[in-house]
Amino acid sequence: MSITNLLENWSDFRQQHPSDERPHREYKWAMSIDLDSCTGCNACSVACYAENNLPVVGKEKFAHGHSHHWIRIERYWDNDGREFADQGAQFLPMLCQHCESAPCETVCPVGATNHTADGLNSQVYNRCVGSRYCNANCPYKARYFNWYDYPTTDNVWPEPMNQQLNPDVTVRGKGVMEKCTFCVQRLTVAKSNARSAGRSVLDGEVQTACQQVCPTGAISFGNLVDPLAKVGKQWMTQQVELNKDKQAKDAEEKAVKLRGYRILEELRTYPSVMYLEQLRESAI
Amino acid sequence: MIENSFNRRGFLKVLGWGGATVALSGCGNTSVEDGKEFVTSYVQTADYIIPSIGTYFNSTCAQCDAGCGIMGRVREGRVLKLEGNPKSSINNGKMCGLGQAGVQAHYNPDRIREPLLRNGDKGEAITWEKALGLINEKVGGVKAENIAFLTGGVSGHVKALLKNYLDALGSGHHYVYEAVAPSIMRAANKKAYGIEMPRLRLDKAKVIVSFGADFLGAWISPVHFSQQYARFRKADNGERGVLVQVESKMTLTGANADRWLAIRPGTEGILALGLINALAAAGLSVPGDVAAVVKEYTTDRVSKDTGVSTEHIGRLAALLKERSPSLVIAGSAAEGYAHGSQNATAIALLNQVLGNVGKTVEAPSSVPFPQMAPATGNRLALQSLNDNVAQDKVKVLFTYGVNPVFTAPASMKLKENLKKVPFKVVFAHYMDETALEADLVLPLNSALEDWATAMPEYVAEGAQLNIQQPLMEKLYPGTLGMGDILLALLKQRRPDEYKGYEDFYSYLRSAMVSNKGALGGLATDDDTFWDATLSHGVVKLAGTPVNMSGSPSAKGLVVPGPFAEDSAYPFHLIPAVSASLRDGRNANEPWLQESPDPLTTIVWDSWVEMHPKTAAKLGIVEGDIVEVASRSGAIKAQAYVFTGIHPDVISVPLGNGHEALGRYAKGIGVNAFKILDSVFDKETGELAMHETRVKVSKAGQRVVIVKDEGPAGGNQMGRKIAVRMSSNKVNLSGEV
Repeated sequence: MSITNLLENWSDFRQQHPSDERPHREYKWAMSIDLDSCTGCNACSVACYAENNLPVVGKEKFAHGHSHHWIRIERYWDNDGREFADQGAQFLPMLCQHCESAPCETVCPVGATNHTADGLNSQVYNRCVGSRYCNANCPYKARYFNWYDYPTTDNVWPEPMNQQLNPDVTVRGKGVMEKCTFCVQRLTVAKSNARSAGRSVLDGEVQTACQQVCPTGAISFGNLVDPLAKVGKQWMTQQVELNKDKQAKDAEEKAVKLRGYRILEELRTYPSVMYLEQLRESAI
Repeated sequence: MIENSFNRRGFLKVLGWGGATVALSGCGNTSVEDGKEFVTSYVQTADYIIPSIGTYFNSTCAQCDAGCGIMGRVREGRVLKLEGNPKSSINNGKMCGLGQAGVQAHYNPDRIREPLLRNGDKGEAITWEKALGLINEKVGGVKAENIAFLTGGVSGHVKALLKNYLDALGSGHHYVYEAVAPSIMRAANKKAYGIEMPRLRLDKAKVIVSFGADFLGAWISPVHFSQQYARFRKADNGERGVLVQVESKMTLTGANADRWLAIRPGTEGILALGLINALAAAGLSVPGDVAAVVKEYTTDRVSKDTGVSTEHIGRLAALLKERSPSLVIAGSAAEGYAHGSQNATAIALLNQVLGNVGKTVEAPSSVPFPQMAPATGNRLALQSLNDNVAQDKVKVLFTYGVNPVFTAPASMKLKENLKKVPFKVVFAHYMDETALEADLVLPLNSALEDWATAMPEYVAEGAQLNIQQPLMEKLYPGTLGMGDILLALLKQRRPDEYKGYEDFYSYLRSAMVSNKGALGGLATDDDTFWDATLSHGVVKLAGTPVNMSGSPSAKGLVVPGPFAEDSAYPFHLIPAVSASLRDGRNANEPWLQESPDPLTTIVWDSWVEMHPKTAAKLGIVEGDIVEVASRSGAIKAQAYVFTGIHPDVISVPLGNGHEALGRYAKGIGVNAFKILDSVFDKETGELAMHETRVKVSKAGQRVVIVKDEGPAGGNQMGRKIAVRMSSNKVNLSGEV
């Protein structure tokens, strides 16, 4: 890649949030999470620990905010001063939103976090110098820093527990930032298999670990470019557009509403995760 | 110039052979690092093994008794991750957090690795030969009636072998004890329908009223019910089911309810009868005898007794009348009282009146092999063992799959009584509280190293026999499977019958193959049948539906009024069964300790839940260390204040508070089992788990609670993060 080439075709190399003129080509990985199905059971979080070699940090480090749950269940109450939480809780699986215009990417001094052509927000561990600027800039608090060298820390993976580590995923050392990758190791295998077969990855061919385990099937994941993908159909039905920071449907006053929304959309991060609002029956 | 005697091709050939030799000697059968470990050679491997590509083997989850099918991902001879087996109708490829942590039970650094014989305060490592010889000698030296086997819920071929061993000894003393089993519900169902465990169809119901059944969290078969729940919430036609949860302490299921009704503890039966009365008043046809029983339960009176507002009772009755079929479930919260059976009967009556029986409450299938059907039991069994132990009637005690020293209330004095048993054998994975009391501790294979079959108590369709097969080689040569141990013990007693089986595997294979006709393999040869069985991980059996005989009767039903105030012990203690820790046997798996409790988000500890009103009255704030004292004992833990609990109730989660078990469990939190009072359900005699009354006082210190929620404590501070809307504003049928 020559400098001339880079300068002349700059817009081809620069991954920016897609506009109508520059749509994604082959893949755009995206997710949708139905909060009315999510029961807050935490199975997704444990699946992520298993798939992505997340360290168990223990009580003291957890208290310091050093926990590493790439997907965590946030729990909110909506009491409005009532005596009881009589409409239950609001659970929300929070993970890296893989923003199309990610605030974490622009502040990385070494380009360790950047956007892939598939629309993933990727983290290059061996480039990361641990400035933690990205962490400070993430509005979703979805990034986790390795304050310690967990592989050598007592009781994180003591023999023989180290044997459970997934060889497809790096075990991160001290001083490195990490976060949800949309199970990029699974995506890579699926893409490679599809390429060998001379086709694109089919919908359902690849699942993230959290999606695979979810007992109520609240999580869908797939390729937004693929017109057959369930996730794309969901985005379309909900009229949530990836490259908008204000959805047209929100401006309209309608009796029947759509449930799809993205978190903190107004920050112009263009997240790749759409949530479907939780419902509560009005008759009771 | 050198002639072509050594050309490039030849060079590569030599290099290739050399490489292979290095591979053979370096990584093959030769030990690496002084014989410490062996690395698999890929020069000659099985056809299906490709280095770096995971292979999946089906087996059965052993983390709880639900019996979900699992798929172990195996790479280079190691099991890495457990995923759900899509072929199992129980979990259809899904899993819970507890199940996935099974891999940490397997690789746990605190597993026992060799048989240990008590020598004073220490355990001395002995050989299996010596251990089994010792058992033979001890059981031979006492009368058969003085030998007892205490186990958790067992089923399948291990249960059959256990029975054979007990028969061979001439003793039938098998006590089955599950610390948190729904035993009162089983008895109530037996009375109402003639069966203990009817099939619940959450997916067919339009309204579910659950009286404290945590079916999404820790009740019977949560992964299965979660899937039904998803279809209940979003049916194919776009209709959305309504969930109303009635309980005194919010469970995970309660947190997902459209309406969570905080009810005064113990008055669940009153509300059920009040609802029948309200339904009768609204025109639902109610049999005369039932109408006579419920007529005094007017909405005003029921509201006064239960604390549920008349408005909510009215709306709930209207909803139940309008949307049919519905489903009413009695859970552990309704049953945990001395009148638990009456509560459960009143709730069953409500189901009957609503016409749900046969629609959302279905008959299960009969089990084709009754000798392998699950054996269940609860505190009553432990009590009767305890009584026998106290009277010196037990000389040799075997314990398998339970930790009664941890889960028995202190008032039972089980630990003290056990000292009277001259020879105690414990089959265990860890040195738990019960193993510490043993004379002989026999280390078991992990569930991922062992052969077994299991028949779950709750099966979604037909009948099912689950296969548990090893997903990898044993980690330690000194452990043995329960089946192998029982077979070895049987060989001591009935050598002629069992000498043909080299190990439990050969017994299991021959038992399965000889019954292949009944197991769906009639037309296949033995090897094909066996391979298919292992490959599927489950054998589906054609069970015939059991007749649901009888119907819940109002005759003799007396639901007592609300509890009287107790000024010395003003609060009701609810020991909460959490989805991840249950009765505490899995507390040494770090994923579960670091997995936040869904409601409080607390990790790595126990806590005392209370309502803000209660806390204000007692002058307690979050993080205060409080003492919770019952008539049977006291515990101290950090206070957590939130609005998902009735003001008369204090709740402490179960599962933590271990004095042993391992590095991740020992010294973490407190054990609420210990302070439970000995109050029993009047009909079944089982322990009434929610009957304990307590007083709460500040103990002086205050800590910062280690939890996942931020300082705003679950308040979104006006931001649009987790959003909720009213269900009448959306059209679900238009969604994908």
